[in-house]
Amino acid sequence: MAPPEPLGRLAWIELLARWVVGLLFVLASLHKILQPAVFAQIVYSYQLFPDFSINLIAIFLPFVELVAGLALIFGIYPRAAAAIVNALLVAFMLIIAFNLMRGHEFDCGCFPTFVTRLFAESPISMLLRNVILLAFSLPLAFYRGRRRGVLFRTAAS
Amino acid sequence: MVTDLIKQSVVLLGTALVLAAAANTVSPRGIPWQGQWDEGQGVVTADQAALAPTLDFEIPDAAAAHRLHVGGQVLFVDSRTTADYRAGHIPGALSLPLGEFDRRIDALRSQYAPDHPIVTYCSGRSCQDSHILAQRLFEAGYDNIAVFIDGYPGWTAEGYPIGTP
Repeated sequence: MAPPEPLGRLAWIELLARWVVGLLFVLASLHKILQPAVFAQIVYSYQLFPDFSINLIAIFLPFVELVAGLALIFGIYPRAAAAIVNALLVAFMLIIAFNLMRGHEFDCGCFPTFVTRLFAESPISMLLRNVILLAFSLPLAFYRGRRRGVLFRTAAS
Repeated sequence: MVTDLIKQSVVLLGTALVLAAAANTVSPRGIPWQGQWDEGQGVVTADQAALAPTLDFEIPDAAAAHRLHVGGQVLFVDSRTTADYRAGHIPGALSLPLGEFDRRIDALRSQYAPDHPIVTYCSGRSCQDSHILAQRLFEAGYDNIAVFIDGYPGWTAEGYPIGTP
């Protein structure tokens, strides 16, 4: 059996990026989990999803964010977690862009208000935030080296 | 490798699904799997049961609210934000944003008797603040409350007069 590939300096950057993205996703999930009825109202305000799906989105999406975030932080299937996070970020961007184009005002609901109060919440700033997050999370899905801080290692991690 | 990735994604998503379903079932803040999101059917809400106590006191349309307003006996209470209120409200309405309730309820009590007829409203069928306000007023002792569910947008759509401070 070949000795394991050494951990390069890039592995530190990879770990840092995973923690940043993971922590942000956990942070983004908590207020939604604590108040599902409020989050459902926000999902409704996007005026985009069929009536039957609104409560289901409000119930399940925050836990997808939480689980993906925790998986990134603890290195549980990190590549799969990064893929989920990327898919979510791209979906969020499409949704925001669509509402921006049709001029529909909506409450992002993405982060708790103590965070969003820190900067002006416009659709453009929401999009920009997603682009920055993607810059961190997209490479995580394609990282080829050995990862640091992985709870258990699989061929796909 | 790709099939591994798909399998692992399914594991993560499945975990999220199970946790979400369990949390929503156990939590007292959990919501039904389906909400009421059709404005044609009334106020939209994730949890219709939570609003049930006030649903019986809804004023069906703007014309009925207008008749009450013209009668002059009823106090209209605006549960929207102060900024919304300043931009325009039902004439004579009192501003009582939900967030201000605790601070302002005593002033309201000293001015209006518990049997004083009250109509609450907010921004129409997409908001529940008027229902929540009605509930809180009821808990504060008021027992003659109705909710004007079409709210300020319903009022202006009929071309009824508006008040600005």
